[in-house]
Amino acid sequence: MAMLYEPGYRGLGGPLVVRELVPSPRHAAAIWKRNARVFSRLWRGALLPTFLDPFFYLLALGFGLGTYFAHGIEGIPYKDFVAPGLIASAAMWSSAFETTYNVYFRMNELRLYDNVLSTPIEVQDLVFGDLAWSATRATIYGCVVLIVVAAFGLVSSPWAILIPPLVTLGALCISVIGYAFTTLIPKIDLYSYFFTLGITPMFLFSGIFFPFDKLPGWVEVVAWLTPLYHLVEITRGMATGPDALQILIHTAWLAGVTALLFPIPVRALRAKLVP
Amino acid sequence: MTVEQQAAPAVIARQLQKSYGGRLAVDRIDFEVPTGICFGFLGPNGAGKTTTMKMIYGLATVGEGELRVLGMDVTRERRQIKARLGVVPQETNLDNDLTVRENLVMQASYFGTDARTARPRADELLEFTLLSDRADERIQSLSGGMKRRLLIARALVNDPELIVLDEPTTGLDPQARIAVWRALERLRSRGVTLLLTTHYMEEAARLCDRLLIMDHGRIVAEGDPAALVREHVGREVLELRLEPGCDAEALIASLDGRLDGYDLTEDALTLYADDAEGLLQALDNDRFPTDSALVRHATLEDVFLRLTGRSLRE
Repeated sequence: MAMLYEPGYRGLGGPLVVRELVPSPRHAAAIWKRNARVFSRLWRGALLPTFLDPFFYLLALGFGLGTYFAHGIEGIPYKDFVAPGLIASAAMWSSAFETTYNVYFRMNELRLYDNVLSTPIEVQDLVFGDLAWSATRATIYGCVVLIVVAAFGLVSSPWAILIPPLVTLGALCISVIGYAFTTLIPKIDLYSYFFTLGITPMFLFSGIFFPFDKLPGWVEVVAWLTPLYHLVEITRGMATGPDALQILIHTAWLAGVTALLFPIPVRALRAKLVP
Repeated sequence: MTVEQQAAPAVIARQLQKSYGGRLAVDRIDFEVPTGICFGFLGPNGAGKTTTMKMIYGLATVGEGELRVLGMDVTRERRQIKARLGVVPQETNLDNDLTVRENLVMQASYFGTDARTARPRADELLEFTLLSDRADERIQSLSGGMKRRLLIARALVNDPELIVLDEPTTGLDPQARIAVWRALERLRSRGVTLLLTTHYMEEAARLCDRLLIMDHGRIVAEGDPAALVREHVGREVLELRLEPGCDAEALIASLDGRLDGYDLTEDALTLYADDAEGLLQALDNDRFPTDSALVRHATLEDVFLRLTGRSLRE
């Protein structure tokens, strides 16, 4: 196609009643299944890079750069410090791409949502089904990294078994932010801002590569406001030995923010597709 | 089902209005679509047809007024209405990542039907739309006509009582158009209510039991196709191409009393009458020189052009 479709800015539209915000699980599941079906066709080709990506990161950072940090970080070897964060970042990248370019393509190029919304599926079911799928896909990617990390012997706590469902929660939170962005932007070019000003800084400054203890206090405060920081704290805690209270706080943050933001994409998508 | 329920209209609109960003798309219209017939919406681009269809199938909210579909209110009972509706949209929005059959099975899952139940039904619908041999192909390999037929098959997965079709044959070649018409005629004979929009008068005349003509968001005429022609243009038409210098006004005046109406666009004069041949005989050729003259039966196209004008839209 010569020109990309530009949906235009429609804003949030009017407020919705609670009934229009609560998804029907059965209808949301149909959307999840559609996305899973399409993914099941493509994943075989995509799986090898998924394994190689964390492998290269570990090699370069954990075993390359990390050898210069003789004392490790916070008392653990650098490669053990970095490895769990890579699980979180893989989930973030997956969520970010799924809820931006993939959703944009389904909505504006394939016009799939126009069809879906003329069946008994309503906007809130569609958004929730897409988000649940995005979180599922992110969990698959996160698990691939977890397997690689474990294979390198960088998981020291049995609590790591709880990493997948917690990654799902963190991915859900990042996905709802990406989805909100997609439903609000008037044209596709704005994704470069989302990635350059949102996703990439989160990747670099959420405590995956260095801790905050030697930096000014406000840096950690800013990081605390981002979902990836909490997910990194969770995966690192679970891989190296968790502090139950801390995990609970981070989990509550992710769940709370997800629930709080959910109405934004629902309202924006309704304003766009059901004017 | 009682007699009263059977007789209830499939769609009822009362003072229905819709505007987009200050522009009035549908301007307080009233209509009823009886159950079991093919009901057509005609009108030039931008007349408000698509907006009306979208309000019916839930892709546009009702601005003002009342809209009831299958006896239910579209604002309050959207999900229940959509469960009993089939939609063939103007744009082809098939799922390119799935095969032909999977498009139907997936559509059924949106209606809550599991794959095992949906698969035989999907094969039945592919047979109905002559797509059985394409069942396992991807959407990209289909022609425009096949995609249209698949859209119709997709609109049937939930065995709908009412099917809304927005320009179902736009962009198709004559053979593909006839294939779509046949499918729609078979559906109508099964008692499904069809509601369609079109710009093609031939399509409207062939398929529709009842027509409604819209322009600028309002309804300008309604009736069965033959009655609309009789009422608005009479039986026959005389088309004249005038030579330069021919006084059209005087020509029209000279035929006063024999005309049902006329249209004048530059040198093309269209005269409506019960006896166009007699009109041609009566014409004073020396006083009013013409390049060509054609006598023909009046059609729906004449009604359409009389009511919505000959000037270009958009």
